Amino acid sequence: MLKIKNLQAKVDDKEILKGIDLEIKAGEIHAIMGPNGSGKSTLASVLAGNPGFEITGGEALFEGKDLLDLAPEERAREGLFLAFQYPVEIPGVSNMTFLKTALEEIRTHKGLPPLSAKEFMQLLKQKQELVELKTSLVNRSVNEGFSGGEKKRNEILQLAMLEPKLAILDETDSGLDIDALRVVAAGVNKLRSEQNAFLVITHYQRLLDYIVPDVVHILFEGRIVKSGSKDLALQLEEKGYDWLREEVVGG
Amino acid sequence: MEQGIFNSTYQSLIESFEKDHLPERSFEDETLLAKRAAAFQVFSRKGFPSIKDEEWRFTNLNRILKQDFSLRPPSISFAKAEESIAGLDACRLVLINGVLAIEQSDVLPEGLIFLDTQAALANPSYSQLLGSIAVDDNNAMLAFNTAFFKNFYVLHVKAKKLIEKPIHLIHKFSEAGSPSIIPYRLLVIAEELSESTLIETFHSDGQASVLASYVSEVQVAQSAVLHTHLINAAAEDLNLIHHREVEQFKTSVYNNSNLALGNAAFIRNNFNCRLKGSVTETNLLGSYITNGTQHVDNHTVVDHQMPNSNSMELYKGIMMDRSHGVFNGKIFVRLDAQKTNAFQQNNNILLSDQATINSKPQLEIFADDVKCSHGSTVGQIDEQALFYLKTRGISEERARKMLIEAFVLDVHSRIPIKALQEYVLQLLQAKLDTDSLVTA
Ligand SMILES: Nc1ncnc2c1ncn2[C@@H]1O[C@H](COP(=O)(O)OP(=O)(O)OP(=O)(O)O)[C@@H](O)[C@H]1O
Ligand SMILES: [Mg+2]
Repeated sequence: MLKIKNLQAKVDDKEILKGIDLEIKAGEIHAIMGPNGSGKSTLASVLAGNPGFEITGGEALFEGKDLLDLAPEERAREGLFLAFQYPVEIPGVSNMTFLKTALEEIRTHKGLPPLSAKEFMQLLKQKQELVELKTSLVNRSVNEGFSGGEKKRNEILQLAMLEPKLAILDETDSGLDIDALRVVAAGVNKLRSEQNAFLVITHYQRLLDYIVPDVVHILFEGRIVKSGSKDLALQLEEKGYDWLREEVVGG
Repeated sequence: MEQGIFNSTYQSLIESFEKDHLPERSFEDETLLAKRAAAFQVFSRKGFPSIKDEEWRFTNLNRILKQDFSLRPPSISFAKAEESIAGLDACRLVLINGVLAIEQSDVLPEGLIFLDTQAALANPSYSQLLGSIAVDDNNAMLAFNTAFFKNFYVLHVKAKKLIEKPIHLIHKFSEAGSPSIIPYRLLVIAEELSESTLIETFHSDGQASVLASYVSEVQVAQSAVLHTHLINAAAEDLNLIHHREVEQFKTSVYNNSNLALGNAAFIRNNFNCRLKGSVTETNLLGSYITNGTQHVDNHTVVDHQMPNSNSMELYKGIMMDRSHGVFNGKIFVRLDAQKTNAFQQNNNILLSDQATINSKPQLEIFADDVKCSHGSTVGQIDEQALFYLKTRGISEERARKMLIEAFVLDVHSRIPIKALQEYVLQLLQAKLDTDSLVTA
């Protein structure tokens, strides 16, 4: 589904991604862990098409298409979704209009007619229950005045509504209390299928208890320095990153 | 020597005053004729204001006065004004090129009267008020209007009357042969304890080539509540210079929204509220969305003269292409106006490198126990918000529209009439459709 080869990116002359290789197949869940500032969010942003980063080398194919050649909205319509680490507040744009517009654009791209108002409301209600987001929040402006946890749930609501092929969750678990974590994880597990895939960026093993990954990668100073089974996450939890630092610098 | 504009339009106006204009006005009483003569002196001395006049620094009248505008009796063959607002239950009054089209106007509800020029001037109490709310001693454009206006209307709301149905005054400009300057005016009297709503919309047929000089004097008596709305939906052929002077007395409430959402080439609004009584409330909302080479200038004055009054002013603007916005908001808090609460905010978004905004808040505070705040911002579209919307599959253009609509929403959402709000949204959307927001 996603094939990244030697992907490099910089911002303001600062090299951040220094050659990333990653392949994700349909039906898989991959986790990326790594210390602060290692480039996890940058990778997510670059894949989503954030114009703030300059691609300096490598390639990324999404379902065989050159991802880097597509505008952010085209990537989304092709089925890529990023749940942001820090979702932005957009005062004056109602969550409802936002969801409706997004869904309409994506359905149009798929050659589907727009949902009727009633169908939309039914779908929204169903997905809202999945992530246990209060209706009062759905009626407000996008993320405006939402708590950290509410913003994260709202990201998952969007994910549930838009049903992407590949969802990147950038620290969706941070800032969530244990109940919210369970809700979000349950949401993801309900949405996963053989046709879609997830890339989960996290610092904590605990999320991976709920969303069990097929592969765990460690991103370190702009490179994936280690990949392994879910046990790798446990190892990190136990030992931190220092041993890695030695290993990487040493090797 | 005054530093005005004394061009050929000016010359022909000066010549026509005694030769053509005064003979036409022979039915007017002496007080009014004396007012006209004094105003004429002011205008002939000062000329049209040039950019050397501090109040006109950013607004160059020379640009519109490049062509000659002539003062002629406005055409009396009326085009049908189609402009009505869907779903709005209002009494329509239609002015075409400043002239009342009686056959297109509705009968007014009880408790309220609307008078045409002849009737209004026949009543000395109205002609005496004329020019006493908006005083033109030193204001050339106001003086021009007083000297030359052809039509004068009065909207008079009687004491204690609650008029639920809004009055919709349609200002329509249509083909007038050659470029015309059209001076006319309105007097609004809201008597004690009355409550009413006046909606004014401006339209043109695209062939008008008009410079309209419109003066509205508004008196809000003790404990009266008056809601007014000015919505400009005209085409490029309209140039409008509007002066509104409002005087508010004790415990009265005045709310206005002033929206430039059409394509008029040029708009200058002078909007002055004199708060002459205590415990008054004033809410002024404004928005201006400009593209092409449009120029929209809002000069406002909120003048707190007595204690315990509240004023709130919020203007928001979006400038595209090579258009130019001006906002100048003055707040005066006089010595007697203790416990004043005055708030003013002007926020702008520039969508193109070649668009301009000159935003200037001015506070002059002479009382010590007051709460005043003001702020002015100029920014661009929030790139992060734009990216966020796009990552959900929303096109660049649609995302920009959503953000622009959101930006002016806190102005437009305060319009208390649902049908009017929808009309405003339609105008806004039509406006945003005319422009390629993506290549901005
Ligand atoms: N817009 C930017 N301008 C300058 N530097 C940036 C920018 N975005 C990211 N960086 C830098 O790039 C590096 C990687 O940042 P990134 O956000 O990708 O890290 P991360 O792995 O997601 O960290 P965290 O775990 O704290 O979320 C950091 O050093 C960061 O300061
Ligand atoms: Mg991050």
